[in-house]
Amino acid sequence: MQLDTINIKEGVKFHIINTNKFKTNLISIFLTSKLTRETITQKALILSILRRGSKELPTQQELNTKLEEMYGAECDCGIDKNGDNHISKFYIESVNDKYLPNKDEILEKSINILLNIIFNPVTEQNKFKQEYFEAEKENLKQIIESRKDNKRNYSTIRCIEEMYKNEPYGLYKYGYVEDLDKINNEELYSEYKELIENSKIDIFISGNIEKSYVQEIIENNKYIKDLKPRKYEIKQDNEIIINKEKEIVEHMGVAQGNLCIGLKLDKTNKPVTAVYNAILGGGANSKLFQNVREKASLAYSAGSMYIKTKNSIIIKCGIDPENYQKTLEIVKQQLEDMKEKKISAKNLEDAKRLIVASFKSMQDEQDSEISYYFGKEINNDQDTINEYIEKIKNVSLEDIQELAQTIKIDTIYFLTK
Amino acid sequence: MNKIECNKIDEAYYTEKLENGLKVIIFPKKNIQKKYVIWTTKFGSIDNTFIDQETSRKITVPDGVAHFLEHKMFEQKSGIDSLYKLMSLGIDANAYTTNDHTAYLFECTDNFYEGLDEFMDYVQNPYYTEQNVEKEKGIIGQEIRMYDDDPSWQLYMNTMDCLYKENPIKIDIAGTVESISKITPEILYKCYNNFYHPSNMVFVVVGDFEPEKILEEIKRRLLPKEQRKEIERIYSEEQEEINKKYKEIQMEISKPLFMIGIKDNPKQNYEQIVKKQMAIEIILNILIGKSSELFEKLYNEGLLLEEPSLEYEFSKQYAHILIAAQSKKPQAVKEAIIQKIEKMKKEPINKENFERSKKRIYGAYITEYNNVADIGRMFASDFVKGINSFEYIEKFDEIDEKYLKQILNEIFIEEKMVMSVVNSK
Repeated sequence: MQLDTINIKEGVKFHIINTNKFKTNLISIFLTSKLTRETITQKALILSILRRGSKELPTQQELNTKLEEMYGAECDCGIDKNGDNHISKFYIESVNDKYLPNKDEILEKSINILLNIIFNPVTEQNKFKQEYFEAEKENLKQIIESRKDNKRNYSTIRCIEEMYKNEPYGLYKYGYVEDLDKINNEELYSEYKELIENSKIDIFISGNIEKSYVQEIIENNKYIKDLKPRKYEIKQDNEIIINKEKEIVEHMGVAQGNLCIGLKLDKTNKPVTAVYNAILGGGANSKLFQNVREKASLAYSAGSMYIKTKNSIIIKCGIDPENYQKTLEIVKQQLEDMKEKKISAKNLEDAKRLIVASFKSMQDEQDSEISYYFGKEINNDQDTINEYIEKIKNVSLEDIQELAQTIKIDTIYFLTK
Repeated sequence: MNKIECNKIDEAYYTEKLENGLKVIIFPKKNIQKKYVIWTTKFGSIDNTFIDQETSRKITVPDGVAHFLEHKMFEQKSGIDSLYKLMSLGIDANAYTTNDHTAYLFECTDNFYEGLDEFMDYVQNPYYTEQNVEKEKGIIGQEIRMYDDDPSWQLYMNTMDCLYKENPIKIDIAGTVESISKITPEILYKCYNNFYHPSNMVFVVVGDFEPEKILEEIKRRLLPKEQRKEIERIYSEEQEEINKKYKEIQMEISKPLFMIGIKDNPKQNYEQIVKKQMAIEIILNILIGKSSELFEKLYNEGLLLEEPSLEYEFSKQYAHILIAAQSKKPQAVKEAIIQKIEKMKKEPINKENFERSKKRIYGAYITEYNNVADIGRMFASDFVKGINSFEYIEKFDEIDEKYLKQILNEIFIEEKMVMSVVNSK
């Protein structure tokens, strides 16, 4: 694998990952912009409209017909939050010509389709096509309302919402119905212009490809040429607000209770926090899995996840509604044990191996590898994979204990019957 | 060892049947760090009645026993759980149970042979006690509750209930809280001794391996086992007709979910099953795939938000087509689908739609070879169904419009169609 990064112009970067591990080429384009309540619903709506088609392929049917002709190329877009930054991502995955009966120039076609979707939307009189605007507004409303359908995801979203109340990271990525009603097409189109003109743009191509070939396609593309230099200030290392521990219980018609506990840290030390999280709830060897599931038989799923970009940890357990207090006590005991260094050298080694293994295998997955390098780009992280692995290996029990003192429960959220 | 090549995608695998009956599949992938191992037994939730090899008597075990057994395999006499040991080596290990098989697997970049030691040791050494079986009932009870709250799973189970009258695919893989309460160590040992014999299993490895060497490493870790005859499983005779046309439940969701099922007979021409599956996938794509007129129409009317999930699910015991999506008007979508099917039957197959749909599906089969885990899982589950996965690439050209039309007329029949709906409360 080889990664080359080319600065096309200020604020626009092109990253080429040359690898022979995959049968497909994957192109991902990320637009990074500000995460705000005022624009989050608009951006979700913009993405829904863009995926309807471009001037070149103006209907979904034409777009999808084209994608199928290219041996079922997969093209879509999505929204992420990276710290307090909003990420609009677009991707297309298509089979490498090498494995097809005819040489179809599928890579070049794929790049063009994706760039057209982002930069050449279907418009009328300086706004989006009214029909698409209306229909996608209705569809987005349904998407926003469907957030409660998956109870496990819903409880995580709600916990984060409570942890970051009145902060950008607490925003729901698809936005809000009450804001959606107020959006008009003209304003939305100018927000789209704003997004295209001022976002940081990162283009990734991964596959068994020739650097000069793809570089020429990208650099000579009309839309890329037309882009103006831009300067987006990535929001980083923001002030961490730790709230007083609060407990929120929400009722719904469910069979299982979903417990989410949000932890915050005021110190940033990513390798140590990553190891702390792995010991706490990273896998089958973790304290949560061992104590909540294996010893107390209270849950099937019990673990935690580390939100690197916000320096926080979310604990999650699916339990019987009756066992709320009992589970909470066991979870709190694990946090206390970590403070008192009641962890063995083996716990520490297991956790480190888990993290190192996940880093190594990430390079065998095309989309994970791109996400990793994009994350580095956004967080201005200079470590190579090997340097980061070294840092993980150097974490000591004392580091963990020291970190444990600074960890505080911010929000306890329980979705129950 | 046999070498089986697939030049179209530049891949090959090796296969060997050992003396004790174990089938080994080795799929070398050069330059990939990740190694993937999956050991599968043909024992799933539908295998609840069989002739015991020891006593030659017919026995019926409680619902959910295959899945329960899978959970309990990790527990070891030493008191140290194998999942724990593997994780300690930085190895990601797991297991799962389906309708027709149970699989144990791990993937790793380092410590492969230590991992293989532990992995092959635990799958070959069950340890069930009253105490550890009781403990698992609480854990699996919560797993069942998790599925109780999962609208998509409820939707699927209700579709099975509509399609089948007797077939054990109707039974939830995990069983019920009531059925698993009857599980004992004796029952687990009985199932283990019958179904975890090498002759009922397939061992698949994918990664940067020398085939001969890895085969020796596997053989060296196998416990000696006598050859044995095939297990006789007993399934209730299933009628050709559906069980019921419609089933509806209510859950706390924002918009109804629907699943349309079409019942097929797996016993008809099973040797043609790969071709049949591909033909069905092409038909479904022409019918309501994302490039179809019907999808465009339903999307524009606000009746579909996304391409429905389209699937042909089968084993030697069951076969059905599934079309599922979220919609505010499931009935209207169903009627539109029925109309379109009738129209397709009357008209010749559109050449362009046919060729394009073929390309899409062919591309998806090639993409499966991107990832060692996908390859391993695919070869294991296809083997259980009696299929060599390369057939999906090799037989693709055999499908023509005539065959497509034949499948359309034979299988897409309104009387065989059911619908399950989860409505919002």
